This record gives sequence, structure tokens and C-alpha cells, in this order.
Amino acid sequence: MSTYVNPVDPPDLGLLPTFRRLLPLWWAERRLGFFGLACSLVYVLISIAIPVLIQQAIDHSIDATHHQHLKPLWPYLAIIVVLGAGRFVINFNRRFATARIGVRIEARMRELLYQAYLRYPRAFYDRHATGQVLSRATNDLYPIRYFIGWGLVQGMQSIMMIIGVGIVLVLVNPLLALYTAVALPPITWLTFRFARRVSPISREVQERKGDVTEAADEAVVGIEMVQAFGRENDIRERFGDKAEGVRATVLRQAGIESRHLPGLYYLPGLSIAAVLFFGGRAHIHHQLTIGQFVLFETLLLQLVWPLEALGWITNLAQRALASAGRSFAWLEGIHPLPEPAEPRHLPEKPQPLEVRFEKVGFAYGGEVDVLHDLELVIEPGEIVAVCGPTGAGKTSLLNLLPRFYDPTAGRVLIGGVDTRDLPIAELRADVALVTQRPVLFSVPLKENILSGREDEDWEKALAAAVASGVDSFGPGLPDGYDTLIGERGVNLSGGQRQRTALARALATGARVVVLDDPLSAVDTFTERRLVARLRPALAGRTVLVATQRLSTVEIADRAVVLLDGRIVESGKPKDLIQAGGPFAKLFRDEVVAA
Amino acid sequence: MKRLTKYLEGRKLAVALMILVGAGNAAAQTGGWLIVRSAIDHGIVAKNSHYLAIAVAIYLVVAAVGWILQAFLIRGLARIGQAIVIGLRRDLFDHLTGLSLRYFSQQKAGWIIARLTSDVDAVSDTLSQGMPTLVSNVILLPTAVAALLIADWRLGLIAFVVLPPALILSRWFQRVSHIANVEQRNRIAAVTAQIAESVSGMAVVQAFNRERRFQAEFDALNAANREQATYVQKIFSVFFPSIEFLGVLAMASVVYFGSHLYQHHTLTIGTLITAIYLLQLVFQPLQELSDVYGQLQSAAAAMVKIASILDEESEIQDRPDAPVLPRIEGDLDVDSVVFAYGKDPVLHGVSFHMKPGSCFALVGESGHGKSTLARLIGRHYDPDQGAVHVDGHDLRDVELRSYRRQLGVVLQDPFLFSGTIASNIRFAKPDATDAEVEGAAAAVGVDRVAARLSGGLDHEVREGGAGLSSGERQLISIARALLADPRILVLDEATSNIDRPTEVLIELALDRLLKGRTSIIIAHRLSTVRRADEILVVENGQITQRGSERELLAQDGPFRRLAHALEGGEPELAAAG
Repeated sequence: MSTYVNPVDPPDLGLLPTFRRLLPLWWAERRLGFFGLACSLVYVLISIAIPVLIQQAIDHSIDATHHQHLKPLWPYLAIIVVLGAGRFVINFNRRFATARIGVRIEARMRELLYQAYLRYPRAFYDRHATGQVLSRATNDLYPIRYFIGWGLVQGMQSIMMIIGVGIVLVLVNPLLALYTAVALPPITWLTFRFARRVSPISREVQERKGDVTEAADEAVVGIEMVQAFGRENDIRERFGDKAEGVRATVLRQAGIESRHLPGLYYLPGLSIAAVLFFGGRAHIHHQLTIGQFVLFETLLLQLVWPLEALGWITNLAQRALASAGRSFAWLEGIHPLPEPAEPRHLPEKPQPLEVRFEKVGFAYGGEVDVLHDLELVIEPGEIVAVCGPTGAGKTSLLNLLPRFYDPTAGRVLIGGVDTRDLPIAELRADVALVTQRPVLFSVPLKENILSGREDEDWEKALAAAVASGVDSFGPGLPDGYDTLIGERGVNLSGGQRQRTALARALATGARVVVLDDPLSAVDTFTERRLVARLRPALAGRTVLVATQRLSTVEIADRAVVLLDGRIVESGKPKDLIQAGGPFAKLFRDEVVAA
Repeated sequence: MKRLTKYLEGRKLAVALMILVGAGNAAAQTGGWLIVRSAIDHGIVAKNSHYLAIAVAIYLVVAAVGWILQAFLIRGLARIGQAIVIGLRRDLFDHLTGLSLRYFSQQKAGWIIARLTSDVDAVSDTLSQGMPTLVSNVILLPTAVAALLIADWRLGLIAFVVLPPALILSRWFQRVSHIANVEQRNRIAAVTAQIAESVSGMAVVQAFNRERRFQAEFDALNAANREQATYVQKIFSVFFPSIEFLGVLAMASVVYFGSHLYQHHTLTIGTLITAIYLLQLVFQPLQELSDVYGQLQSAAAAMVKIASILDEESEIQDRPDAPVLPRIEGDLDVDSVVFAYGKDPVLHGVSFHMKPGSCFALVGESGHGKSTLARLIGRHYDPDQGAVHVDGHDLRDVELRSYRRQLGVVLQDPFLFSGTIASNIRFAKPDATDAEVEGAAAAVGVDRVAARLSGGLDHEVREGGAGLSSGERQLISIARALLADPRILVLDEATSNIDRPTEVLIELALDRLLKGRTSIIIAHRLSTVRRADEILVVENGQITQRGSERELLAQDGPFRRLAHALEGGEPELAAAG
């Protein structure tokens, strides 16, 4: 298929489609939006009115060269101060209203993404690194927030200001307006160029900082190795190189800034000089009053920021649309696991469930098959150990049960029902899983164990904790079972984590239990004790356990050997050892050793 | 701050130069307006076109000079700032890698890494972005006031009337926005942590139907973050417009008093006009400095945390005159060693002696002190009482690195660095030739692992060794130890957690590795333990039994119980085999 689109990695949306999708989000906040725009209009009008009033004040109440009778000055100033106060209120409202839109849309986008994350299939997480998934819902949203919360309305306001100022200047003195506009195009051009050049380099700075993080991470995590081999100097050199990379990039960024920013600061001087020179000559020839001269200076200075802003906003818009385009591509292009159209249900509890794999084939996203034509029946209440070398497909087989993946051929039946015909929540409530690398959450130990139980009945969960051997370390933690686990709390060892994950799985009432090498990090002595305790705890449940260790096989009624995606041997472990087939080969040395 | 200035040694001239440049830049900005004043008064009002043309030309030249000075300032300050940052980052890293394992076991890895990265970055951002703003505006503010006073001291006084409320307002803004920003950062960090945790644990979230619970937690955090972001925006929305309003007040006052003075012919119209613009130059630095203030605050907070690492002293340090340890025979003597991580000792007086080339196995349940003993032998910790001697030298009396170069370690979870398989093997001996690396790889069977990977030994290993099985990673770490050609070797549960076929490969590799070296094996499998000359049973921080496997099995003691536990789990199978 030449037009293969990876179902979990759709292409980014273009600018226009993205814009069409952002618009409804903005429309939901339209009251704030229109209010902000109205404030902008008033802001521009006041900002032009103030310099005009100053001009009037100078020409009619200060400069006596043209008039014999000066008007009183204070009314002008009073109006200016009142307008200034009014502009304060208007400006506050404009800023706050538009900023709120940005904040709300950012929060809304994040919410949409997170909602989607919770429902995406495993294949999505195989494809995308955690960091990428994370940053799309955090850092990537900032350009969107700034563009919508600031850029949109500021852009409109800038255009209004430019038009308004242009009209006033042309009305006062069209020729002078033309001369003095000399600095404005270069300012716009320079801003635009700067915005375009600085954003790739600041991205590069971020990347270089990422390199430093990686180097720091390796060194800190691998410090025992580094120190054991006395290789501190190498690792320092390596880190120094990465740090040097950041410095070089930051200096390049400074170089770009130094070529653009001072220009933005001093270019308006051209306009000031033009007003001075041409406006001054016009005054000498009685074509321009002093007040009008001041009006020109003031309004031109007032144009500098709106022009710069336009440059920034153009760039910001591009970045915002690009990152929104990526987010929308995910939101629309990736489909969560489909719920059945006509759901069926599992037999009532407590009847144990049969698990059946029928001609199951499986491959990861268009790659070579991991499982082929696999047939396996696990009787209700039976415990079956799946053995086989690394890469034989044990984990893939196990992952089919909670529907982390669907088979690419054949079907998986639980209690006689195709897993795809069961409501996902119902299926998962009855399939408890212990993954190879146990994941615990940063909540107290107790909550980790309870997190599979809706009723949170601690008495029942405690029995699971005892059966899994959590009781041998849990009560000894600083706050017992209430001890916080994880980065902010106590770090458990690998074996302790596995036992906790096991307890969590057992604490659920699930009738099917899937254990993926559940005791690999537990030391051998503890493992022996656990195996003895686990048997009764698993009674009445249908269990599939993948393992590398003969001692864990001990728990099973039957062992099957998975080789190259097929079941090649099945029987009681004892019989299999004697048969001298693939199973015996897998474990022979261990038996001899014991 | 004092810590930072030390990196300026030898750059004092550059710093002084930058201050001069900053002053020149400020002078150009304010001076431009004074030129405008004389152009108005002596050119325009006096109707002197010639004077006007000259004044405009001078104005343009001054602006051009200012332009160049500012460009110079941005680059120069970035250079100085980055010199500080790289010095700080390297020192911090060097210091950190010299700290003992105790520090790393007490501090969470994430916390340490954040000091090296986000904290140093905070300092860096402040120095490279905040510093130019800070330096130019700190100089500009007084320069603008001075220019105003020079233009006309009476109008200059107005600045002193409007400046105090503006300063008070800025102070208020700095304080309030700093607190609000800190809270904002905490809240977004909580949101990020929630997303990160759910993404990395998504398999469990979904398997246990926890989606709704996580969604609810997230919604609460997201809403809290949104509220705080809104509050921060409110503060900003108040501050900048109010400074703008103060500017209008100042302008009105200048026009009011200026017109009086003008009517009494003690003020020129040019001075009146330029005073309006000079006043704007007084307000502008206030706004920009307020913006930078938040950055300065977070950089200061970051420095405090960085300093906490720099102040940490390594407990494992060479004595000033510690001699380099020559090539050792490998005679190892552990003498009445007592050691505690905290209050309660983990080892209570452990003693044993190993002849060069001998192999001891340490057995016992987890948490009874085996790994601690291994770490004392590697001098990752020093004993509280007693001593570890190598070839008769107390480890505390020899240069640490010269000892560790002769030590090899293979851990349960072998750590691979990003790079190729070859570079990971070479890690132990950077000057090894390609042939040596290939030899080590072939000797332990890594060549077979590499053969199935693209690029062979040059296959890129991702960080932490993802993509390789734990057995394969272990083989690589054994090749690494072999290449180092150590005299003393420590294997800490090197064969746990590995599937049996790979373990057989590793056992073969170990035969090569252990030959002729003093080695200590910590293991649970009898097959691994059996190769030792002597087995030491470690219980509750003491050696409770020692001897050959046969001797120990003959006694009714802890080893028999352990062996029974090992065998007892599978009596039927063992019988069948």
C-alpha cells in the first residue's frame, strides 16, 4: 500500500484546516473576544486623541506666535488626564479579557489531549516517546495561548493604530507624512526577519539543553559504574562538550539578537530625524505649527510598537498554527480502541472463566508476525505458565487479553465471548495484569494496592498484600501502608515494586490474572516463599503467567512453551522435564544445578 | 552571587568595558533628545535651516553610535554570562561526580539532574537575556533623570514627583507577580507531573480502568493552573496600563508647568517638548526592570539549590599525600569492618582474607549486607570501624583512582551509556585499540549478540540500553569489565533476572573473566555460587558460616537452610532431572 497512513501517527494538519479547528475554540469565548476588540478600538482612539489634544494645547494655549489671545490651558489637560484614566480602564480590560481567552483555550486544548491520551491504544505509546506526548500537552501549547491570548487582538489593534495614525498624519500634512514614514518599513522588515531567525536558534538552544540533560541523566544514573571504573574525567569531558554546545548556540543567538534588536531600538530615530528636518523646514516656512510638529513626533513614536508587534505576531501565528496542527492531527486522526457495536457480557460471577486463543496471529504495525496460528485453551481456574526464550512472543500473547492489542488474525475468547465484543471496561475489570516493569503511582502504598478495586475495601486488599509478600516490607516503611511511593516519596526496590503490583492485581476481583514475569526482580529466597503463598490466593482464577524461572513455573498446573510465535509443547512441568523437549532445554541447567 | 563572581576572574576588564559601553548607550539614547532640543530652539524656532541640518546630522551620527554600542553590549554581556554559566555547570558536574555513592543514594536522581539542568538554565537565561536589559536600564534610568535635569532642572523635579509612585507600583508588581509566578510554576509542574505519570503508566491506568479517576485528578489540576494563570494575567493587566497612566500624568504636569515657565520666558519650547519624551525614557526602564525582576528571583532561588550541592563535601577523599597504588597482586583483607548508613549498623565486624586470585561467594537473603560489603571493597564508602586492605594498603591511604582502575564491577542492572556497543565496552579503558575491544567482545560472546544487530559492535545503544535484553546488556558489561583487566572483581547479582539460555552464555563468559583475579561473587543461584573457592554466608551484617559448598552442606547451619530453600522449591523437578 503506497498511501499507508500509520493509524497512530497521522500527518500534521495544514495551516488552513488548523485555523478552521481553532476558530470554534475561539468562538466559544467570543464574548470576551469581541469585548477585547471593542476595547482595542477605544484604546486606539484615545491613544490618538491624546497627542492631538497636546497639539491643540501647544498651538492654542502655549505657543503665542500665531495667536494674540491664548485660550486657557487647563481644559485640555483635564481632558487628557480624564482620557488617560479612561484608557487605563480600557487597557486593563482589553489585556485581561484577551489573556483569559488564551488561558482558557490552552486549558481546553490540554484537557482534550489528556482525555484522548487516556483512551489511545498501546500502539500509540509504542510509537511516540513519553517526552513527545508530554510536551504536546504542555510546552507546545504556549504558542497557541500567546497567539490567541495576545497575538490576535494585538494584531488587530496594531492595524487599527497604523490606519488611525496614518489618517491623522495625512490630514495634518500629507507630504511630511510620506517623508517621516521612512523608518517604518525597515522596522517591520527587521522585526519580521528577527522573529524568523531567532525561533529556529532558540529551538536549537532547547535541543542543546536537552543534550546536557541527557548527559547529566546518564552520569547521575550510572554514577556507580563511572566511579567503579574511575572514569569520572571522561564523563566530565563528555558533559563539558555538551555544555560547550549550549554556550556556542546561546552565543549565536546573542549574535542574531545583536544584529537586530539595536536596529529596532534606533531605527525610529530615522523618523524623528525626518520630522526634525522636514518638519522643521516646514515650520520655518510657516507650513507647520509647533504643535503639529510635536504631534508628528509623538504619533510616529507611537507607531513603533504596533509595527514591531506585527512582525512578532506573524511569526507567533506560524508557530501556534504549526503546533495546533500537530495536536489536532492527533485528536482527529488517532482513534481509541473501538467499543463493540453490540456488546455481549461475561458470565455472572463467581463462575470461573475459560480463556481461549483461536488461530491467533499478531504483528506489530505492519511488521513481521510475532504470533502465528496460535491455539491455546486455558481451562476455568487453571494456571498456565508460558515459557520460552526472550523474544518468543510471551508478552505479546499476554497483552492480547486486556486488549492492549487486537489480534491481526483469529480471535481471543474469554468466558466464551470474543474480547472485541465485550465493553472494554467490563473486560478489563475481569482481567488483572502485572506488567514486566511494574508501574506504581506517586500515591501512598495503600492506594497503589487499592487502585484496582472500586469499593476500596482495605480488608480484602490486605489479604492480597499478604499473599504477594508486601507484608514483609510494607509495615516497616516510615508510615506503613500510608507511605508515599515514588519520586516525591520512598523509592521501592524492583522486587518490592513487583510485589506491590502483584498485590494490586490480586486485590481486584478479576477472574483472569495475567502475570508477565511477576517475580523477576524478587530475590530467590523470597520467591520461594511467595510461590507457596500465591497458589491459594489464585484459586478460582484463570491465570496466565509468563516466566524465565523454573521456580515460578512451580506455581502452574501446566506449562506451555512458546517458540517463534507458536505453542510447541504443553504439559505438566514435571512431565516436560522428563520428555527432554524444548522445555527441558530451557531449564535443564537450572535443574541440574539444584 | 559571590560564587558567580569567581568566574569573572580574568574578565574584570571585559566587565568594566561593558559598563562603559552600557553608559555610552544610555548617553546616546538620552543625548539624542538633547540634540533634538537644540535643533528645535536654535534651528526651527530661530529659523536657522543650516543649524537644523547640522543638528539632524549629529543626531543621526549619535543614533548610529548608539546602535553599534548596543550591539556590542548584547554580544559582550552574552559572552561574559556564558563564561560564568559554563564555569558553573562544569564545576557543579565535576563536584557532583566526585561525591560518594551515599549522596546519590540519599538524593533522588531527578532532583540532582534538575540542579544541573533547569537550575543552571535559569541562571543562564537570566545572564544572557536578563543581563543586557538589566545593565542598560539600570544605567538608563539615572541617565534619563540626569538629562531631564540638565534640560531644565525645574521640569526635572517633576520626575521626582511621579517617580516615587511609579517605584512603589513597580515594587508592588515585582513582589506580587513573583509570588504569583512561583505558584504558577508549581501548578503547571503539578499538571506536567500528572500527565507524565499517566503517560508512562498508561498500561496500568487502562488495564485497571482508572481513566475516570485520572481524568478527574487532571481536571482539578488543570483548572487550578488555569485559575492561577488568569490571576497572573490580571496582575500584568493592571501594572502596565497603570504605568502608562502615570506617564500621561507626568506629561500633563510637564505641559502645565512648562507652559508657565515658557510664558515667563524662562523656558524654551524645545526644552518643553524634549522634556515630554525624556520623561518617557524614565518610565520605560521601570517597566523593563519589572519584567526582568521575576527572572532574577528565580535565578537566585536556583543558585541557592545549586550551592547546596557545591557545599556538599565528599566523604570519600584522597589524603593530600595519598600515594598512587602500583599494580596489585590482589590480596584482599577485610578487617573487623563495622558500617552504618544511618544510625543502625548494617555490618557488625566482618572479617575475611582473600589470597590473590581466589574467588569467594557471598550468599544470604536480600538486605543483610552483602552489597554494602561489596561497596566497601570498591571504596564507595569508608568503614566506620575496621579497615579494608589491599596488598597490605589501607584503602583510605591510597589514591582512589589508582585503586579503582584495578577494580572491576558487574552489577545486577548493568548501566549502558548512549553510544555504540563498542564505546560501552571501551568505557572501562578509553585508550583500548579496536582489536582489544573486539577481543573482549569475542571472549565473552558479545560478538554473537552484536551479529544480529545492525552495525554489529557499532550498533547504537539507546540510553539505558533500551532495545537490548537484560542478558545482552549484562554480557556487554562483562566485556567491559574484562577489557579493564582488573585485579579485583566484584559481581553483584550479575546473573539474576536473566533467562536461562543467556545465563549459560554469561556463565561461560564469567569463566574467562574470573581467571587469575581476586573475585567476590554475590549470587542466589547455586550454580553460580558453586564456582567459588569458599562460600561466606552473610546474615544480619555478620558472617555466620564459611567454607566450601560440601563442608557447608555437611553442617546443620544457615547455608543448608538457604540451599534447602533453593532446592526445596522444586523437589519434584530436581528429582526428575
